[in-house]
Amino acid sequence: MKAGLLTLLCCAAALPARADSLVEHDYILNCAGCHRIDGSGSSTVPALPNMRDLAGNPEARTYWIRIPGAAQAPLSNARLAALMNWLVERFTGTAPAPRYTAEEVGRLRRKPLRDPLARREKILRGR
Amino acid sequence: MSRLDRWFEGMTRQSARRLSRRHWLSRFGGVLVGGAALPLLPVARAADENMVGADGVRGREGDPARCEYWRHCAIDGFLCSCCGGSHLACPPGTEMSPVTWIGTCRNPADGKDYIISYNDCCGRTFCGRCMCNRNEGERPLYHWYRNNDLNWCSGTKSQTYSCSTAVLVKVADEAQPEK
Repeated sequence: MKAGLLTLLCCAAALPARADSLVEHDYILNCAGCHRIDGSGSSTVPALPNMRDLAGNPEARTYWIRIPGAAQAPLSNARLAALMNWLVERFTGTAPAPRYTAEEVGRLRRKPLRDPLARREKILRGR
Repeated sequence: MSRLDRWFEGMTRQSARRLSRRHWLSRFGGVLVGGAALPLLPVARAADENMVGADGVRGREGDPARCEYWRHCAIDGFLCSCCGGSHLACPPGTEMSPVTWIGTCRNPADGKDYIISYNDCCGRTFCGRCMCNRNEGERPLYHWYRNNDLNWCSGTKSQTYSCSTAVLVKVADEAQPEK
């Protein structure tokens, strides 16, 4: 029983570590196709460094997970949380505080945004 | 000069006396048919299989102009290698799309999985040569950014699809699909 509990604890501790080690891989396979490896986007896809415009805004935390590309990515909650912690820090220069957890991401991604660009405008205008 | 003429005349007459016309025809026919049949021999095919191609991979899996090339495991389209370009570069007159569909393929030379970016070349009408449709690890259309059935000619001047490349991005930490 003790050994089983210990194994369970070890696995639980190892899971986020594994998700963290896969962030770049997950980014390339699930984001970079459209946003490109350096995040610069194209004439039809938003550039990720523009995430800076929303940095520090209390609404941004929810918004970034509810963007359809993130919410509907074929990734587990733990891996999406790790990916978004890495991605927000990479493109805004500041890591989310507190860091996203699998539970929080799992809750937020259930409601993907229908019109992310309109929502972004609203957040920027403070409404 | 007359000595050369005489020599040739002698040779010709001698061969005409010794060899029948049919004899010559049969030999010549044998060379023609034999030469054409040579690549069909198992020896020739074995040589093809053992040829070391791109990325140090043997046989068809190492040939960027074939669907069996290892990087083409998730491709759906015409190979730029057959259309005046290569598996890394677009044919003249086309532009590489910055927006692309990305998958992973296993390199048989080292057994590792690699991330492959299938950038489309756009701007001329579709090439029509070397159509390949392997789709390993492709997602359904509702995961459109992991699907290859749609036109990835986006962010380019022209949306006309011509052919596809297979650019190696880096070693994959995990083969698709993700766990």
